[in-house]
Amino acid sequence: MMRNVFSIARKEFTDAVTSKRLWLIAGIFLLFSIASTYSTSFGFRIGAQRTTRLMVQIASSIASATAYMAPLLGIALAFDAISGERERGTLRILLSRPIYREDVINGKIVSALAVIGLTITVSSLAAVSVSILLHNISVTIDDVSRIGLFIVFSIVFSFAYYALSLFVSTFSSKSSHSLVVSIGIWIFFAFILSVMSSLIATAILGPPPTRAITVFNMSRRQFGNFTTPGGATPQELEEYLSYMRKVSEISGAIQAFSINYHYTQIANSLFSFAAGPLEFGQRGSTIASIPTVLSTRLIDIIVLIVFPIVFLVASYMVFTRRQEK
Amino acid sequence: MSLAIETEKLVKIYGNKKTMVKALNGIDMKVPKASVFGLFGPNGSGKTTLISILVGLLLPTSGSARVLGFDAARDSVEIRRRVSLLPEGFGFYDHMTALENLVFLATLDGVPPDQREERALEALEKVGLKDRANAKVSTFSRGMRQRLGVAQALLKDPELLIFDEPTVGIDPEGAAEFRNLVRRMNREGRTILLSTHLLYEVGMICTHAAIIREGRLLVQGSVDELYRSVREAKGFRYEIRVKPGSEMPLQEIRSMPGVIEITQRDNHVTVLTRNDIGGSLFSLVTRNPYKDIVESLTPIEPSWEEIYRFYQEEDKK
Ligand SMILES: Nc1ncnc2c1ncn2[C@@H]1O[C@H](COP(=O)(O)OP(=O)(O)OP(=O)(O)O)[C@@H](O)[C@H]1O
Ligand SMILES: [Mg+2]
Repeated sequence: MMRNVFSIARKEFTDAVTSKRLWLIAGIFLLFSIASTYSTSFGFRIGAQRTTRLMVQIASSIASATAYMAPLLGIALAFDAISGERERGTLRILLSRPIYREDVINGKIVSALAVIGLTITVSSLAAVSVSILLHNISVTIDDVSRIGLFIVFSIVFSFAYYALSLFVSTFSSKSSHSLVVSIGIWIFFAFILSVMSSLIATAILGPPPTRAITVFNMSRRQFGNFTTPGGATPQELEEYLSYMRKVSEISGAIQAFSINYHYTQIANSLFSFAAGPLEFGQRGSTIASIPTVLSTRLIDIIVLIVFPIVFLVASYMVFTRRQEK
Repeated sequence: MSLAIETEKLVKIYGNKKTMVKALNGIDMKVPKASVFGLFGPNGSGKTTLISILVGLLLPTSGSARVLGFDAARDSVEIRRRVSLLPEGFGFYDHMTALENLVFLATLDGVPPDQREERALEALEKVGLKDRANAKVSTFSRGMRQRLGVAQALLKDPELLIFDEPTVGIDPEGAAEFRNLVRRMNREGRTILLSTHLLYEVGMICTHAAIIREGRLLVQGSVDELYRSVREAKGFRYEIRVKPGSEMPLQEIRSMPGVIEITQRDNHVTVLTRNDIGGSLFSLVTRNPYKDIVESLTPIEPSWEEIYRFYQEEDKK
């Protein structure tokens, strides 16, 4: 019943916004994103950055902080959502009321959506506004739309981790277990899979053409206005680039399993910052328009949205069908 | 006799084929309305499982249960609207105060907004926690938590209260208060089902009782019925107290019908008989010469240990 869902959601919401956990994560995020905007802004002013729009650059530094913060926020809200109630025996007290099990999990989900939405919106806007004040930047409508879209995708991303961790929590009667499992999955998606994917790619393709590597290393700093440096022939460079494209394809295919990858792809496109040497070819002084970003990143967007839905439905089914005395 | 709870061939099996545990093995339990029904059984006998099925937290593997006329598997929300439960191993939100906890639970119980706090405070008062209403539950002792558990069962206006081991961790005074509370609730016409592994608790407050063991009911009925059947099998026992320094002549009692054994210790004479001879004993001791020697005559009810042992032995036969 709606009334019970609302009552539970309201309590959950109050608990969350008064918890140290939430403020800690939001605080760390603000600290990190503001710190990273400093280096970006500094680089911009001394002319080391070649892009035209400082706001986009600033936003991209905030985005890299969000890429870590959003999953942790989702996990922080979910890992003990069910297991904690089970552990403390409050679930029994709740379920002895004239309510359905559905009400309990729905209330939690509704509250989590609100908390995640609020936290990400407020802390991103805070980071952006602080940067605007600190670095004295002018902002365009296009900047605002990009940031707005970014916030929406970040909320979905954080919620994906919420759903994943909730799923773990519905099975568990120990919050410490469900925390370890959730964090483990995050570490896997965020770090291990990307390392693994390039390892696998090089294992498949063999080592890169050796001369090209030295060429590349010498030339990458001045790549923006690349002429033929260090004595590398255009063929050698082409060979190297095609090798790197293949590596990128294979590792991309492997990383497609990671929700973090899809989120980063979207954020990169929105703010067009290079994720690393693999994408350096795309970096330029112009930025893709928002409709272009949305259409080229459609698959990533779909995955980002479907992922939390799948885990929400799974959590819902596991929890509501479970019997516990 | 109308029934508050009626179960039919209730079976509950936990686990899969390999880890199978038959926690309930064909329970037919009848709890009359307005009774205080004691469900007595040792650890692991199936009390909590049975209770959980009654309020719809667990589904029976087979069989059925009706509680206040509702089917426990289908209409459990309707049951929980009318039934309060003190579950086993419950807990509260530690970061909230006792009052906040109860107000939240009252909300889910469907208590109207303007009455929640009032009801919560009433409940706290009944369990002696009113002065700690605004203290965080994290500061509560085990016994106080248990009392709070009882309080949360009083938020709505239940027709039936089910308590799973209500007095664990409560001090003797608290346990006595709890029994008074149960009697009071019962006088208001509410039915109370309480599970316990403490035999004396059954004797002290219950009007009816059942003994459960390994998922089966060994016996159930009114406490009087249980006493009587044990007496009929094991004999009736009377205790005569004699004035200090006097000598009690025993031959007349010995010749009464059905007397099995007479034992004398200090100024107590215990008479064990096959039949109920309470009436004749009474007329005897009010006559001369007994009148001046005898201080009192009391029929001794079998102890609950005896009752339990008796039905356990019966069951083995
Ligand atoms: N979730 C479960 N999975 C498997 N077996 C279980 C489960 N819960 C209970 N059992 C088993 O079912 C039987 C009955 O357990 P139950 O908790 O109903 O007993 P109880 O009478 O309440 O015991 P206690 O006095 O210790 O509370 C026990 O043998 C127990 O091991
Ligand atoms: Mg039990």
